[in-house]
Amino acid sequence: MNKDAVLLAAVVFPLLAGIVIGLQRQERLRNILVLAALLAELGMVGYLCIGEHTLTVWQMTPRLSLAYHTDAISKLFAGMICVIWLLAGIYSFAYMKREEHPERFFLFCVMTLGALVSLSFASNMLTLYLSYEYMTLLTLPLVIHSRTKEAVRAGVKYLGYSMFGAGLGLLGFFFLDTYCTTTAFVPGGSLNPQLLAGNEALLLVVYFLMMLGFGCKAGMFPLHGWLPTAHPVAPSPASAVLSGVITKGGVLAIIRVTFYLVGADLIRGTWVQMSLLLLAIVTIFMGSMLAYQEKLLKRRLAYSTISQVSYALFGLFLLHPIGFLGALLQVVSHAVAKNILFLSAGVMIAQTKETSVFGYRGTAKAIPAVMWAFCLGALSLIGIPPFAGFISKWYLAEGGLSPAFGTLGVVGVAVFMLSALLTAGYLLPIVLDAFFPGTQEDTEEREKTASVRWMTLPLILLAAGAVLLGIAPGGWIDWVAQIGEGIFER
Amino acid sequence: MELAAALTATQMGGTFSVEGILGQGMHFKGGGFRTLLTVLTAMVWFLVTVFSKEYFAQSKHRSRYLLFSLMIEGATMGVFLAADFFTMFLFFEGMSLASVVLVIQEETKAAVRAAQTYLAVAVLGGLVTLMGIFLLYQKTGTLEMDAVGAVIAQSPERSGYYGIGGLLFFGFAAKAGLVPLHVWLPNVYTEAPAPASALLSCVLSKTGVFGAMVLTAKVFAQDAVWGSLMLTFGILTMLWGGILAVFSVNLKRTLACSSMSQVGFLMVGIGMQGLLGEENAWAVAGTILHFWNHSLWKLMLFLAAGVIYLQVRDLDLNRIKGFGREKPLLKITFLMAVLGISGIPLWNGYISKTLLHESMVEYIHLLEMAGQRAWHMRVAEGLFLLAGGLTLAYMTKIFVAVFVDQGNSCLPAAKTGVYLRPGNQMVFAGCGIFLLILGMLPHQTQERLAAIGMDFFGTQMPEHTIAYATWANVKGAVISIWLGAAIYLCFVRMVLMRTDENGETVYLDRWPKWLNLEESVYRPLLLSVLPFIGAFFARVAATLTDGCLALLRMFLFNSDNAKVIPPEDQYFSIYTDGETDKTVYREGFARSLLLIGLGITVAMLYLLF
Repeated sequence: MNKDAVLLAAVVFPLLAGIVIGLQRQERLRNILVLAALLAELGMVGYLCIGEHTLTVWQMTPRLSLAYHTDAISKLFAGMICVIWLLAGIYSFAYMKREEHPERFFLFCVMTLGALVSLSFASNMLTLYLSYEYMTLLTLPLVIHSRTKEAVRAGVKYLGYSMFGAGLGLLGFFFLDTYCTTTAFVPGGSLNPQLLAGNEALLLVVYFLMMLGFGCKAGMFPLHGWLPTAHPVAPSPASAVLSGVITKGGVLAIIRVTFYLVGADLIRGTWVQMSLLLLAIVTIFMGSMLAYQEKLLKRRLAYSTISQVSYALFGLFLLHPIGFLGALLQVVSHAVAKNILFLSAGVMIAQTKETSVFGYRGTAKAIPAVMWAFCLGALSLIGIPPFAGFISKWYLAEGGLSPAFGTLGVVGVAVFMLSALLTAGYLLPIVLDAFFPGTQEDTEEREKTASVRWMTLPLILLAAGAVLLGIAPGGWIDWVAQIGEGIFER
Repeated sequence: MELAAALTATQMGGTFSVEGILGQGMHFKGGGFRTLLTVLTAMVWFLVTVFSKEYFAQSKHRSRYLLFSLMIEGATMGVFLAADFFTMFLFFEGMSLASVVLVIQEETKAAVRAAQTYLAVAVLGGLVTLMGIFLLYQKTGTLEMDAVGAVIAQSPERSGYYGIGGLLFFGFAAKAGLVPLHVWLPNVYTEAPAPASALLSCVLSKTGVFGAMVLTAKVFAQDAVWGSLMLTFGILTMLWGGILAVFSVNLKRTLACSSMSQVGFLMVGIGMQGLLGEENAWAVAGTILHFWNHSLWKLMLFLAAGVIYLQVRDLDLNRIKGFGREKPLLKITFLMAVLGISGIPLWNGYISKTLLHESMVEYIHLLEMAGQRAWHMRVAEGLFLLAGGLTLAYMTKIFVAVFVDQGNSCLPAAKTGVYLRPGNQMVFAGCGIFLLILGMLPHQTQERLAAIGMDFFGTQMPEHTIAYATWANVKGAVISIWLGAAIYLCFVRMVLMRTDENGETVYLDRWPKWLNLEESVYRPLLLSVLPFIGAFFARVAATLTDGCLALLRMFLFNSDNAKVIPPEDQYFSIYTDGETDKTVYREGFARSLLLIGLGITVAMLYLLF
């Protein structure tokens, strides 16, 4: 046994722990176990984030293997996922009290973490694909948790879309297996120039289809359809992680394929890059516009996710270091902000029994901390300084305006602004209503119906994160920028 | 405390940077004009806070008001001291958002609505300005205020920068309340509590003006095209604000529209700075002084409105008529501000307005010397004097209503004893005396004030001084006064007032309803028409995939084909314990099958290909 075996442990441990937790019927003990498992996982990932670790679990054929490696990107994603999982887990203890079968929720919740860690640390395309599918399957029970007709229907739609998307991805892997020198991820790509000669056009088409396929998970047009259906029906903590974290699984797959298999050089300046940028822009606008028109809070937030994740995709498809930096920052800031919003939406819905955005008038009197968190999350998501969202959008716009992209970049940034305006339009009225109900509204009779203390703590921590990442990002931006430099220098 | 800090910190005139904040670092710069602004801000804030102690004595959310008021003060200082556009934008945005809380303080229906509009305009303006900042950064590579101008001056092609400047200007114009972005202003100032209105009018709207000044003085220094753009906005705002104010029958609304109009005067001064190029010293001085003076007048006027509101709980001219007949201190100080703002000789407004007027006359003179036609500037000068007349007309209207007209039966009679507490008496008396000193001793006070600020605009105080008491200079003021008197006597008294059967005068609201830009144009356009169009396209895009799937399903799985699925598979995806609707799952399952099938088909196609 060497130290790198921790990698395997980090992947397998949540799966085993999940099963143990699922068998545990007693609430208190189960909660302690969940907390312990999540903390242990955070510890393991924290350990893995220091230094480099490599582990080949199973060498199937000379080219295919199940292997893990920790590089900067995987550290970023795994670290973010574990922290958010822990906070969402703490939130769920109180939240799941009023849902049926909490043990099933926690079972899949903890197991999904294993899939996500596996996805983050995957070092070749086989491992990535397997973890990706396994993530889809494990999150399905979270979506259909309430077992209503609507939820099951949404779950099947989620499954269908995800499978189709992953199928497109797998198809691409077959091609890349032929044209790449190795199936492992190499910064800058590993296309074999001799084999590639003459087949560039084919490979571009394949790459484009792969992007559509993985874009499905990230909610990119045209395969975004599952998102507004699946997110609102899940329990709030599940929607929070689905929106905030699982969509980032798609982003990670796109990063891996674009920068570690195909390489940015092949795509730069081609029709593929332009059409992907265009798709991202369309998605940004579409998501915000529909969110603005939507009346159900959680579906509004789901549409908002469609729009916000595509900000990150836009940054990636710029194939430009600053855009890349912006995209990674956006991944993190959106994960934080969207978790705040979904988690506080859970409390708001529990408090008022209202699902429509007009139902939260004067809510801030009863649950002030939650509404403050919602307010900060909203401001960060819009991109108001000095919160985290502002910085990521600043870099995205700076990347988009770099001279190489001409009009498309300017159009993209203009759509950013339009989308930010719409974001303000669909989030701030809720905040205004909650804090300033007007004099005629009688808010005294509303009391705290839910025990919100344990739900408030993660919200406060997340809100603090959104503020700190904004005001004092310090070495954080430099560290993320280095990731980009590592990729683009080669 | 804050006042002292502002004085000491900014008179050093140093620069100060906090690196690493928000990834860009914040950069501050003090000295000169910025000192003037921060001292003004601190002074206004101090006086307003003293006053608000009484104003909010019975208010529910006093601590909320004080908290946000302090936050906004900090943010405003940040705007005035920012050395680059990034820092300026940060504080500008923070200030805009935090001030929503002050506007909504009363939480009445009208206040909430006004605050919504305010917030929307603030966010929209902020984003457009941000877009401008992005483009500016991309084109020049710097956001340092002093450096940007140099880069632009060197570039051969200037036209591209006007677009960027326009975007930057948009947010500032929205904050300053320039036509046609003024729609939020009258409602917000009317609905906000009086101390907040005073802050909004004296300081917050000035941040927008400051933005325009930065653009004119630093980015487009001495640029005639930019200058004429500013001048156009200035004249439009000046006149439109004046007309709105004349029609208003609410004390605070009149003051709000008056603020708008006076900001228009400032913009005229800023425009003249651009047009006059190197000779712009008097325009600069006039702008600086009017900036100061306006803050002082509006401070007093809005606080006086606050005093009235505390007693009567209303600000409709018909209800507060005759309120101030027996209140000499209020009457005199109000009169000082009225005379000042109307530009009557011997009061401070005369000096600043004369300087602005002088700069226009000078430009006409220059144009004629160069043999160019100057009729458009003559028109501008005429409109400037007309706006001065409007100022006098609406100020007379409210002064006569509150302090001269016979008292209204609705007035609470008993409360006249203590309408001002000692602290507030000091505030009013101090301001009144200060105004008088400024007006009587222009060379010793006002010109020195202006000289402090000149450096920011890249000019120096000229060698020769202006003799304010000569006929040439008084002439402009006299024309304005005549115009104002004519408007008041012939229009306000004839058309906007009526004597009812009891012999009491009644002020009429004759403003046509359809001329409300906010209700008849902006709200429908921005809340219904544009979202409808946008949502239509978004909806089409969003349902594209699902729609295609639905179509495909109609072709591939018509009702007969659906039976192909073996009966036992109906339970494949049933998770419910309770009632089940099997068709739903069959459909859902069919869809997922279809999707997988589609994936395989596409895969096959490409393998064949």
